[in-house]
Amino acid sequence: MKTLDEQFGMPACFNVKSKPSLFCPGCGESMILKHLGNVIDSEKIGSKITLAIDIGCTLLSWNYFSFDTIQTHHGRSVPVSVGYKMANGKRIVIALMGDGGAYAIGLQSLLHAAFRNDPILAIVINNTEYSMTGGQMAPTSLPGEITATSPLGKNASIFGPAFHGPELVRQIAAPGAFIARATVSNPTMVETVIARAINNQIENKSFSMVEILSICPTNWKMNAAESFEFLAKLEKVYPVGEIIKNKNIK
Amino acid sequence: MSEKKFITGNEAAVLGAIEGGAEMFFGYPITPATEILEGWINKASEDKNLQYLQAEDEIASGFATIGAILAGKKAFTATAGVGNVLMQDPISMAENERLPFVGIIAQRGGPSTGTVIYSQQEVNLTALGGNGDGLRIVYSASNVAECYELSAKIFSTAWKYNFPTFMLTDGYLGKQKITTALNKPLRPFPARKILKEDSLNPTHIRNCFGSEPEFAKVLQRNISDYKFLIDKVAQSESYKVSGATDIILAHGSVAAAAKSAIDDLRADGVKAGLIRPITLRPLDTKAIRSQIKNAQRVYVIESAFEQFARLLVYIVPELASKMIKVFKPAVGFTPEEIYKIVKDNK
Amino acid sequence: MSFRIHLGISKKILNQVQDDEKHDIMKNEITKIVLAGEGGQGIQTIAKVLSTALVSAGYFVSYIPQFGPEQRGTPSVSFIQFSKSEITYPKFDTADIVMVLRRRAIKTIESYVGPKTQLLFDSSTISRQKFSLNNSRVFAIPATKLAEEQFGNKNQNILALGVLAKNFLDYPKNAMWEIISTQLGKKFAKNKDLADKSKLAFDFAYDFQLETKKFTKPEYDTCEEIVIRKNSERTAVIVPKYCKGCGICVLKCPVKALSFSKTLGVYGTPIPDIDIEKCIACGNCFRFCPDSAIRVIKK
Repeated sequence: MKTLDEQFGMPACFNVKSKPSLFCPGCGESMILKHLGNVIDSEKIGSKITLAIDIGCTLLSWNYFSFDTIQTHHGRSVPVSVGYKMANGKRIVIALMGDGGAYAIGLQSLLHAAFRNDPILAIVINNTEYSMTGGQMAPTSLPGEITATSPLGKNASIFGPAFHGPELVRQIAAPGAFIARATVSNPTMVETVIARAINNQIENKSFSMVEILSICPTNWKMNAAESFEFLAKLEKVYPVGEIIKNKNIK
Repeated sequence: MSEKKFITGNEAAVLGAIEGGAEMFFGYPITPATEILEGWINKASEDKNLQYLQAEDEIASGFATIGAILAGKKAFTATAGVGNVLMQDPISMAENERLPFVGIIAQRGGPSTGTVIYSQQEVNLTALGGNGDGLRIVYSASNVAECYELSAKIFSTAWKYNFPTFMLTDGYLGKQKITTALNKPLRPFPARKILKEDSLNPTHIRNCFGSEPEFAKVLQRNISDYKFLIDKVAQSESYKVSGATDIILAHGSVAAAAKSAIDDLRADGVKAGLIRPITLRPLDTKAIRSQIKNAQRVYVIESAFEQFARLLVYIVPELASKMIKVFKPAVGFTPEEIYKIVKDNK
Repeated sequence: MSFRIHLGISKKILNQVQDDEKHDIMKNEITKIVLAGEGGQGIQTIAKVLSTALVSAGYFVSYIPQFGPEQRGTPSVSFIQFSKSEITYPKFDTADIVMVLRRRAIKTIESYVGPKTQLLFDSSTISRQKFSLNNSRVFAIPATKLAEEQFGNKNQNILALGVLAKNFLDYPKNAMWEIISTQLGKKFAKNKDLADKSKLAFDFAYDFQLETKKFTKPEYDTCEEIVIRKNSERTAVIVPKYCKGCGICVLKCPVKALSFSKTLGVYGTPIPDIDIEKCIACGNCFRFCPDSAIRVIKK
């Protein structure tokens, strides 16, 4: 039994020994992991989860939870999850990654997992830059966004505008796939969407993907208030909710 | 008990893998390994226990193989050439995390797309291909019977010692259909769940470390574990070495041709013999060293430029000055050719 | 008392030797410095300023930060060397000067402290007992306390710079400030109040008489106890050892019941405290906290 000051308000499936974590102050990924933990607790599936994590700040969650976790390579948490789930269909398999792992180096595998309807859940943490390496431009960086590799602002005519990953995946994903976007500014919705995604894996044996808009005060060089203001800007560019397929495109 | 079959190397490899306990295969079509993917799929249609995925590329194949291994299944992949280059991404992770990754590498000409059929030019990459100080075990099959026998063995070696383990073949071996006896292999070493699914004692596996000294400890442990297995795993064959003045060092298909040449040489009064490393990593240093000691001439013959030679010289430095280098990158050797090389050099 | 080594000593010796011997002495005169503190405390800023200053003074300089994967969360360490001749390798075994500003960083730099090393530490966060060197080589400034009380907590590193400049390098005051204001130009332009406070902090530290015998008590460290505020309707619990002071709970509180306090959290930075009477137990702070460091329970 965990005492008050040990486990405190943390989800029961957290590994207390790894806290305080190595994530920065105000890290959106920390919030998301907490919401994930809450869902795992309320669905009572802590003993059934296997988590595969990408490189980047996500790798800091290698000992975050009290369930099996495998740190993979950049863009590879999805294919590892696919192979694992195929070998052991009874486990609930979650692949965790950032916007680089999902939409740059790992995009190929993400698309094909959705295309094949592999019954895994991909959680994509989108904070519009590559955090662990110091805040470089990502596919999801907004036009004009200043990052370590776009010091004068992202030039959309050269690097493309804002990358809508879930929308892209939705177009080729199997009909039974569940694809959605949430934001850390709405914690309840984050948990609802994750719960629905997990159930899609358990009940419908189908692919799920949830992109969660997140904040990064360290690399955005912002305080709490400024971070949430920028997040509000992101929510205008990246619509939140379930992603519906554009039927006009055959 | 051996049974005779008229079979290709790639077909034999599939049968061998199944004998070795393989249950899952992940791969991407690439010549000359494609028949392994297709052969496995055929077998899977007859046996529901066998699963497979033709993945979107070799990188995904390798990582999906790792996923299945973590869940406790004997899984493997097969590739060649540039596919082998891509495969180093997952193999490096398997080296760091000490996973029993199993792969069959069918060598073709390289670098780049090279040729689709034959070489011994993937020795460097298969034996030493990851980043950092990774360790792996590499076997080299020299005939179709070995494609079967070693294909089973690599699973047991991998799951027993927890290092990525490979069998090298080539396109000639893979595609030749030959009458051969297949010897039933020993009982396979069992697999086990690597992610143990115990939330009271969760398994947390990482490959990224916070500091140099912390990581150095992990690597030192891997190095000492590897040292421990050398005597148990290193394998070679000595063929007609008794009283030999001329020793050939060769592996894989080249060694097969050399055997034939040696038979003819001996018949003509030339005291020739062959040392054929079956494992390229770790090399059977004792056997190699003792056999070349009394030879007047040692030929290192490979269908590559100094790849096999480099592995040998590091372990047996006296070879550096002694060996006669016979390198033909991307081109095979016939028995007649090898006969001539030894005859002419006497 | 001169704390300077190599620079001062070499000048004296140089006057006594023949010209052709000077080269040999100067050849091996490298001054080795280790700077350490919490990630986010501005250690690398100090390092960059010092390096720039030493380059401007005509030295060969080498600077490398310690590098792990995380952006924050682990001690920040930098290695600086300067010499009159070329430096070939960025790391070393024993430092001539070690500066450590946070208790958590001590473990990381212990191996660099030799019998002749001079040590500068923040006495308001670290106890003198942590170091076994004798007092002639141990110096302190209560940088965090001074920053909290007078100059703003963003200026700890400026205080450290002032001390290093004067006492360890004998670097001219105005020249050093020039370099600081260039390096931090962008930050100063954004925030004039910070710029003014920084100048005050630097001037103060430059003339500060370092503690050598009597040391300030280390009260500015992570609070060990859990903070509990309660009334008849609700209980709030804040856990300093989990709180990183991000301020999100303060932002998200709809009734402004949370505000930053003097209690220090896991990185030795200020964490919020709660006015339990204002609090309406809405759960926002708990819902948003990335580190599960705060919770309000309704009775």
